[in-house]
Amino acid sequence: MEQTIKKPRFTKRQRTRIKHGILHIVLLLCSVGFMFPFLWMLFTALKTPQELLLGFEQFFPADPQWGNFKEAVTMIPFLLYLKNSLIIVILVVTGTLFSATTTAYAFAKLRWKGKEKWFIIMLATLMIPIQVILIPTYVMYSYIGWLSTRLPLIVPAFFGGGAAFYIFLLRQFFMGVPKELSESAVIDGASHIQIFFKIMLPLSKPALMTVGLFTFMATWNDYFGPLIFLSNPDHWTLAIGLRAFQTRFGGRYDLMMAASILVMLPTLVIFFFAQKSFIEGITFTGIKG
Amino acid sequence: MKKQTIGSLKQLRKKENRMGYLFASPWLIGIIVLGAFPILASFYISFTSYDMSSAPQWVGLKNYIILFTNDDVFWKSLWNTIYHVVIAIPLGLIVGIILALLLNNKIKGMSIYRTLFYLPCVVSIVAMSLLWMWLFQPQFGIINEVLSPIYNLFNMEPILWLQSSSTSKITLILMGLWTAGGSMVIYLAQMQDIPTSLYESAEVDGANWIQKTFRITLPLMTPSIFFNFIMGIIGGFQVFTIAYIMTNGGPAQSTYYYAYYMFDKMMSDQAMGMASAMAWILLVIVLIVTMFALRLNNKVVYLGEEG
Repeated sequence: MEQTIKKPRFTKRQRTRIKHGILHIVLLLCSVGFMFPFLWMLFTALKTPQELLLGFEQFFPADPQWGNFKEAVTMIPFLLYLKNSLIIVILVVTGTLFSATTTAYAFAKLRWKGKEKWFIIMLATLMIPIQVILIPTYVMYSYIGWLSTRLPLIVPAFFGGGAAFYIFLLRQFFMGVPKELSESAVIDGASHIQIFFKIMLPLSKPALMTVGLFTFMATWNDYFGPLIFLSNPDHWTLAIGLRAFQTRFGGRYDLMMAASILVMLPTLVIFFFAQKSFIEGITFTGIKG
Repeated sequence: MKKQTIGSLKQLRKKENRMGYLFASPWLIGIIVLGAFPILASFYISFTSYDMSSAPQWVGLKNYIILFTNDDVFWKSLWNTIYHVVIAIPLGLIVGIILALLLNNKIKGMSIYRTLFYLPCVVSIVAMSLLWMWLFQPQFGIINEVLSPIYNLFNMEPILWLQSSSTSKITLILMGLWTAGGSMVIYLAQMQDIPTSLYESAEVDGANWIQKTFRITLPLMTPSIFFNFIMGIIGGFQVFTIAYIMTNGGPAQSTYYYAYYMFDKMMSDQAMGMASAMAWILLVIVLIVTMFALRLNNKVVYLGEEG
């Protein structure tokens, strides 16, 4: 028996060290893979058209063309698109927060007839491809003359459009708020509207933050919705503007990358500052869903 | 006194019921006007010929019959989409799980790696499409530049990526792996919920990391794997934007996906009846696949508990 118990070549601690060393190398390689496209995007945006053709030969931009950003901004009505994106994003975030919190409160804290059935219906909407409702809504908006406005992208948010995930997330969060808090408020004579505004919403700031961020990202990056519903070029968002840029200056990758960086910069910055509520939110919906 | 409390309790219940409907009313209105009504309307429109300029004309099953029996593009686009789903979803799952397994090791800097891997997921899909068009560009793109030693070694022609119908679909799938960090975050969170005592007792029994991964980690992750799987399938059948921006559905319609064809039917041809029929076929496909996946889910979770 004693012969089989050999002294290990490495102690346990050494083994973990070696293992972690290898892991770090693998993870660093993966990180390079994930990050390199961003880096190349930036280098491309700072190069001259001639440098673009050289590839690795001219890895770094020889003379960074910061003017490319200015040129990209002036070649399309960038500020107009920025304004349109902001208008839509702000209103959609507001609308989603409104409809998702009220509905989640009803599902989490109130007893009403048919609640369970409606809840299942809400979860089922997650599975329905948008194409199925697209055509009748398009026809409907065209009949009431909304296709020349931004309303088709904004109004649904106030009625829980695309918010099933967020309603679910907020419901889980509200259910975690101790009953005693609202019950003592009821004894004190508070109405549900007061409980909602004075107890639930202040306690749910992290969840509201998560929902707001997700909605911001999804709306800012949305391409399909504006493509279908924004017929008036004066209402185009940055996503649509970027595509228009491509169709007009398709070969100029230096300028296209500069414009793309400007479009994605707000999402990257916000993600960096708020990544905690982001990642918590994703894992929350992902696991509990 | 007693009666009064019962009466007021009933009143309270009634009031709560009213409040429930009041609070849910924005969503309830939305689900009826912007959900239920459009779904039923699109079902009706799918049996009509409708171009929005005149009232819908009832044509019965004609749209469906034409699509199934007399429309090669329909089958082509369906095939392209199924190809995309069948390869992209499992591949994305595997890459996401591998990344999560790598990060699930109590190493320093885990959250930094996690942030870096997740970062591509917040990029606008249009910006991402333009970026990868440039990376995959056959003559000057960086990917072919990196691969050129291999091309030279085997004396091969450079791959044309998006510009050849034989590689375009797989190129779009490869690009999609850049966003595998999104599902990774979910897997990782679930992995970290697994109690360490399970691993410790497995270690006492002499299990190595392969056994621990396949016997403990993966079986306990089936809920989030299936969540991502189902969401991936539903999203995968709707793939549109990347092809619209990067390939225009080409070359030779090799990336002309189902949702793209439907979009053209709707926006270019104004063939709302035909497009609605396509939407309903899509819904049925998605529902069947989802039901199948849910069945499979029950089985796999069961097996996981037994093993």
